[in-house]
Amino acid sequence: MPERSARPTRAAERLGRMLTIVPYLVQHPGTSVQEASRLFDVAPAELRRDLELLFLSGLPPYGPGDLIDVEIDEEDRITIRMADQFARPLRLTRQEGLAVALRAIELLATPGVEEAPALASALEKLRAALGPEVVGEAERIAVAGGGRAPTHLADVREAARDRRRLRIDYLAASTGELTSRRIDPEEVFAWLGHWYVAAWDVDADQERLFRIDRIRSAEPTAETFTPRGLRGLGRELYTATSQDLPVRLRLGPSARWVTEYYATTQIRELAGGSVEVTLPVRRLERAARLVLRLGADAEVLDPPELVERVREVARATLARYCDGPARSR
Amino acid sequence: MAGEDRPDPLERLLNLVGLLLETRRPLTFEEIRTTLEAYRGDNLESAKRKFERDKDVLREYGVPLELVDVDRWGTEQGYVIPKDRYYLPEIAFTPQEISALLVAARSGGGQIALERGVRKLLYGAQGGVLTGEPGGPLVAGSDADGEVVVAAAAAAQRHDRVRFGYRTAAGAAGTREVDAWAVVFRAGHWYLVGRDAGRDAVRAFRLSRVTTALERVGEGSAPPADFAPSDHVRAGPWEPGGDDRAEVAFAPDVAWHALEAFEQAQEVRSLEDGWVVLSIPFHDAEALVAPLLEYGPDAEVIAPAAVREEVVRRLRELADA
Repeated sequence: MPERSARPTRAAERLGRMLTIVPYLVQHPGTSVQEASRLFDVAPAELRRDLELLFLSGLPPYGPGDLIDVEIDEEDRITIRMADQFARPLRLTRQEGLAVALRAIELLATPGVEEAPALASALEKLRAALGPEVVGEAERIAVAGGGRAPTHLADVREAARDRRRLRIDYLAASTGELTSRRIDPEEVFAWLGHWYVAAWDVDADQERLFRIDRIRSAEPTAETFTPRGLRGLGRELYTATSQDLPVRLRLGPSARWVTEYYATTQIRELAGGSVEVTLPVRRLERAARLVLRLGADAEVLDPPELVERVREVARATLARYCDGPARSR
Repeated sequence: MAGEDRPDPLERLLNLVGLLLETRRPLTFEEIRTTLEAYRGDNLESAKRKFERDKDVLREYGVPLELVDVDRWGTEQGYVIPKDRYYLPEIAFTPQEISALLVAARSGGGQIALERGVRKLLYGAQGGVLTGEPGGPLVAGSDADGEVVVAAAAAAQRHDRVRFGYRTAAGAAGTREVDAWAVVFRAGHWYLVGRDAGRDAVRAFRLSRVTTALERVGEGSAPPADFAPSDHVRAGPWEPGGDDRAEVAFAPDVAWHALEAFEQAQEVRSLEDGWVVLSIPFHDAEALVAPLLEYGPDAEVIAPAAVREEVVRRLRELADA
């Protein structure tokens, strides 16, 4: 998970903000207080206060003609004059340059980001202007693998932007059933190679995460919604409910990935790299199919019904292969 | 005007930056004190302390404040901010590029270095008012701490040898010393690839499994000329793609999802009972069979025979258990 860096001190933060905002305002005269406060993520009142201080700054000998001139007109448009020394921002530090380059590369490697071409050309310009010592040499930052964007990613992102309620057909992983729901989509996020959306499930009247490749169809409705500030990234991808059944599994070393991809609890390390975990599931069927997938790398410890269920699913699947010809004929 | 009795430190800091940027020669503290009123009021000692604190604030924000000899005899030293080290070169970005950078800055879950870096770039926006994020907001992340990724990338730039704590996929914890050669991003994970000094072999380390900060212990070796970072990063248990193709029939209710889930899968034909046959690329039968088994009786491998047999073998083991 990306974590917040240590907060810079208050004075350094305000100084840094001014050394960044002032060049923007010098280059873009007439920017409104509201627009600047949105772009630079600073409260309008704080921005006004700091801009007023600029009046008191300037260059020697600090006569009236040497001070920076800040004007905010009746329509809140800002104009700054006499600030040549702040007409360009400070260079990006290596830390900042690498952070921008690495994030751009993450997004470029995530299928379905429609800004990818613009981001790629922005990164190229950045590299040309700042050099590898700030942005990093391209051959030392690589991307492997590819992937495909889920069909309905753009539909969900647009609905989140326009705050439009969607009607979706969704294949729930927990039950394996295709259901129709109305959702209010808020945060669209990519995590470990998959796209998700944090949304309000209108009919269930609760918050849910949906994996976008499990959405079979998405239709905008006539209704809009007020965002509740739902966040997805960094949360457990599975919300446990009181109806969950705890399944206890012993996983061999090559099945340990289960602990990284599912919300497992009560993890107990065993000798030789094996691990015992509890996996909450809504239907035993779901766990049975996972155990089918893991094969010899997993052993069901509890409940005993699951052992029987795995056997049944295995036999039912085997029946397709043994009772009669393959479907090709 | 601020209208307060106590002068705001921001005013003093802005004046100090402006003064040291515009000065033609390095200024001693005494000269700075004579020029800037904010340092004049106090006695010398407290003015000096104030100046020391201000220098720290400037350096904390990354202002390249230099202390250099005032004259060639080195009798006195003075402060200056070199313009070429301070100013960002001009970079003209299109509105689309600026929007993309804003999407990137806001996708990071509050990574400060990322947000600060992108804000500095906004001044280069061409055209009028920015439109924001046309495609709608999105968030993307890896499972590694952003600062560890930046540290690993910086180490790879310099080919540092770094030491760090690491927990393997199998859960074994230990310490590694690695010549950092590259960082690789794959399916949501960042990896550091380099020569593991203890094993004298090229290894990939998933950065989310790094348990300490990366500590630089010295200069590392350089990679061989034919080094290809991504070759060393193994995919997860479901490595997609491959040169062989299998034909798999899926039940009507799940076929659309299988088409989304299996990378580069193609629909081949529909059967009379509504089942849909997909062609799926694969590397080896075992890796393909595992995710197929999760479909239970809703999937049936048609060809090749070797994959069919692998499915049957795996199912027999479980059915007879």
